[in-house]
Amino acid sequence: MAHIQIQGLVKRYGPVTAVDNLSFQVQPGTVTGFLGPNGAGKTTTLRMLLGLVTPDAGSATINGRRYAEMAEPLHQVGAVLEASFHPGRTARAHLRIQALSAEADPSRADDVLSLVGLADAADRRVGGFSLGMRQRLGLATALLADPKLLILDEPANGLDPEGIRWLRDLLRGFAAEGGTVLVSTHMLAEVAQTIDSAVIVHHGRLVVQAPVAELTADGTDLETAFFHLTRESVS
Amino acid sequence: MTTIAVPTNPAVRRVPLARLTRIELLKLTSTRLPYGLLAASLLLTGLFTVIEAARAGTSGGPAPLASYAGQAAITAGGVWSLILAAVLGATVSSGEFRYRTATLTYLAVPGRGRVLAAKAAAGAVAGALFGVTGYLVTLGITLGFVAGKGDSVAIGAGTLTDWGLGHLVGAALLGAIGVAVGSLVRSQLAAMIGIFAWMVIAESLIGGLFNAARPYLPYTAATALGGVPIGTSSFGPGRGAENVAALPFAAGTALLLAIALGGLLLAARTTVRRDIG
Repeated sequence: MAHIQIQGLVKRYGPVTAVDNLSFQVQPGTVTGFLGPNGAGKTTTLRMLLGLVTPDAGSATINGRRYAEMAEPLHQVGAVLEASFHPGRTARAHLRIQALSAEADPSRADDVLSLVGLADAADRRVGGFSLGMRQRLGLATALLADPKLLILDEPANGLDPEGIRWLRDLLRGFAAEGGTVLVSTHMLAEVAQTIDSAVIVHHGRLVVQAPVAELTADGTDLETAFFHLTRESVS
Repeated sequence: MTTIAVPTNPAVRRVPLARLTRIELLKLTSTRLPYGLLAASLLLTGLFTVIEAARAGTSGGPAPLASYAGQAAITAGGVWSLILAAVLGATVSSGEFRYRTATLTYLAVPGRGRVLAAKAAAGAVAGALFGVTGYLVTLGITLGFVAGKGDSVAIGAGTLTDWGLGHLVGAALLGAIGVAVGSLVRSQLAAMIGIFAWMVIAESLIGGLFNAARPYLPYTAATALGGVPIGTSSFGPGRGAENVAALPFAAGTALLLAIALGGLLLAARTTVRRDIG
């Protein structure tokens, strides 16, 4: 089971410190919400974890290894960072290319298209997809090589209420089978029922990491707790 | 004797370069742009070859069609396949940034240098296809005009084969150079315009200013591999050149290979390392 360790992570863009000495862990077999307002450094942190952005300091590892050092990374980690695909490629062609990259069975492309409800759109060019359909295709891509860890950046963007419920069930089902999920979002209401624990960041810094049950122990909901904690961190 | 196994860090299992190249070729063939560029290559090659063949022997046109020089000059129409091979190469690399698909590519294969190498190989394979098909079109039209006028073929079969090989090698290496340009520039439009401007305008200007430098300019060197004579055709990079010989095949190939490798190495050390944000 996958374990994520973020230790003293720093990323600066000129005078702006996007991520400021951030440390947290994600325990195996849990769904962890990576929560914070827009610009809190969530996406930058995930990109550093996945080897796409080079940190100025600190480390980000999965099962003790940097992403770039992982053997067959797609078999270990499925990630959805942005719903960007070549608009002229069909959904099936996109997934077949990814399957070849992952050395996965090409027939998995059709399996995951069915799983995310895009079987009927398999041969349509992605340029004609709605944002919600692209999010589903992103999830299909992440699930293609049957990874044990999902890292998702704002996966509910563009999904309708039915899609959000579907996503929630998918993540809970994934965790129930022993998978680990780190899901970044600023839409707290959508994830409140899904996550086991929360990592809350603000201005690139860790505000708190705690189980959701602990954050809402006094009867407040997650959203209220979030606003209280982030306000406190500023003052 | 007892041996003790020394624990080592398990090496990262890398996707073989051949598979990475296959992935890049699959990416290419799953979109419409390469087919459009190939169609444009064949169309322009055919059009310019017909125009040159029709002008052969006229005032301001190539030498008469019955002559070796005339038949050789008409093959200059094949240079369009070389130009578009380089343009295609640029789209292989810059397309990842235009459509923001670099994220998915590097998540699948974190080794960016290996991805770049695979793209260069794919650009070379696709470029070679452009070069060969372009040459076949120009050769077919040339032979058709020669036969139509009742002339005989003045160029030996061995030379014609060499020129075909030259189109293949030249276009393949220009495809790889295009990948390097696309990686360095990252903007697809700028890379495509830049390649056109360099090949159609800049080399003519530089060659006009420094006649002796002509053979060493990459596009001119590639066309020379394909048998396009410097200075004798009314169309092409060497138009108007005097007293300058094309590089021999091996030297031209080595020059283009060095430019491709240099460009790819520079890209691998600079732009390819940048954050994907």
